[in-house]
Amino acid sequence: MSIKKLTRLALLTTIALIIFMVEAQIPPPIPIPGIKLGLANIVTVYAMFALSPGDTLAVLVCRVFLGSVFSGQLMTLFYSMGGGLLCWLAMLLLRRVLTKKQLWVAGVFGAIFHNVGQILVAIALTRTPGLVTYLPVLLVSGVLTGAFTGLCTQFLLAQLDKIGQGSGPAG
Amino acid sequence: MKTQKFWLFLVGSVLLVSAIASVLVLRGRTGSSTALIYQDGECFRTIALDDVDKPFSFTVAWEGGYNVIEVERGRIRVAAADCPDQVCVRQGWISNSVVPVACLPHRLVIQLESAGGGVDGMTG
Repeated sequence: MSIKKLTRLALLTTIALIIFMVEAQIPPPIPIPGIKLGLANIVTVYAMFALSPGDTLAVLVCRVFLGSVFSGQLMTLFYSMGGGLLCWLAMLLLRRVLTKKQLWVAGVFGAIFHNVGQILVAIALTRTPGLVTYLPVLLVSGVLTGAFTGLCTQFLLAQLDKIGQGSGPAG
Repeated sequence: MKTQKFWLFLVGSVLLVSAIASVLVLRGRTGSSTALIYQDGECFRTIALDDVDKPFSFTVAWEGGYNVIEVERGRIRVAAADCPDQVCVRQGWISNSVVPVACLPHRLVIQLESAGGGVDGMTG
């Protein structure tokens, strides 16, 4: 791994972590655990489409781990890791079919699969299959916030392309 | 390459289906709270709040004093009392609150219990 790449990934992880921590300070608008904007998703979508899946996974895992250490809620580590990994898998498939103007779709499906992963982990940990009834509520918020974060990434990449800093090694 | 329309349609249908499902789920969940009424630490009456068709009220006596309890579908309150502080009356209706209505001078507590709980408290 070159120094340049290492620096780039470290920077991305830092950005994702800062976004994550700042967002954690915003009081939730709806008192249902698990519902949030998920702004750190912007970094995941960006890395997936501008860099490579492997780089994305590294940034994602580091961010999720450090995020739960810093926020002091170790239980969220399991939920977020399950969600994050499933989200990564979904995007892995999507990056082959989506064009640059359809990045918002990656945001949506990233969020959807993040929610599904969260619920699966929660069901496994608590042995309460009934938690699945909670999924639709999460999905509604996931689709909306995912479209938002996906659009953010889409605009970000469009702007970076303009100044010649867009997608690095494509494909 | 799929078109923009295809994705909009796909995402739209996911949104629609989950919105409908959440309405169904949330409706089912609210239909399950029971009021437990305690006097001097003993539960002497339970009311399934969702089975209440017609609002009604009743009086609970305590050593010369009284509380009038009013019940409607899904909610309950102390409508009147002759206790000195009137805290219980001022608290008003409770429907899903974790905070019970308590009238300490008359040793009266109304606690709500919902059968659908379990999600809260699990996340850190």
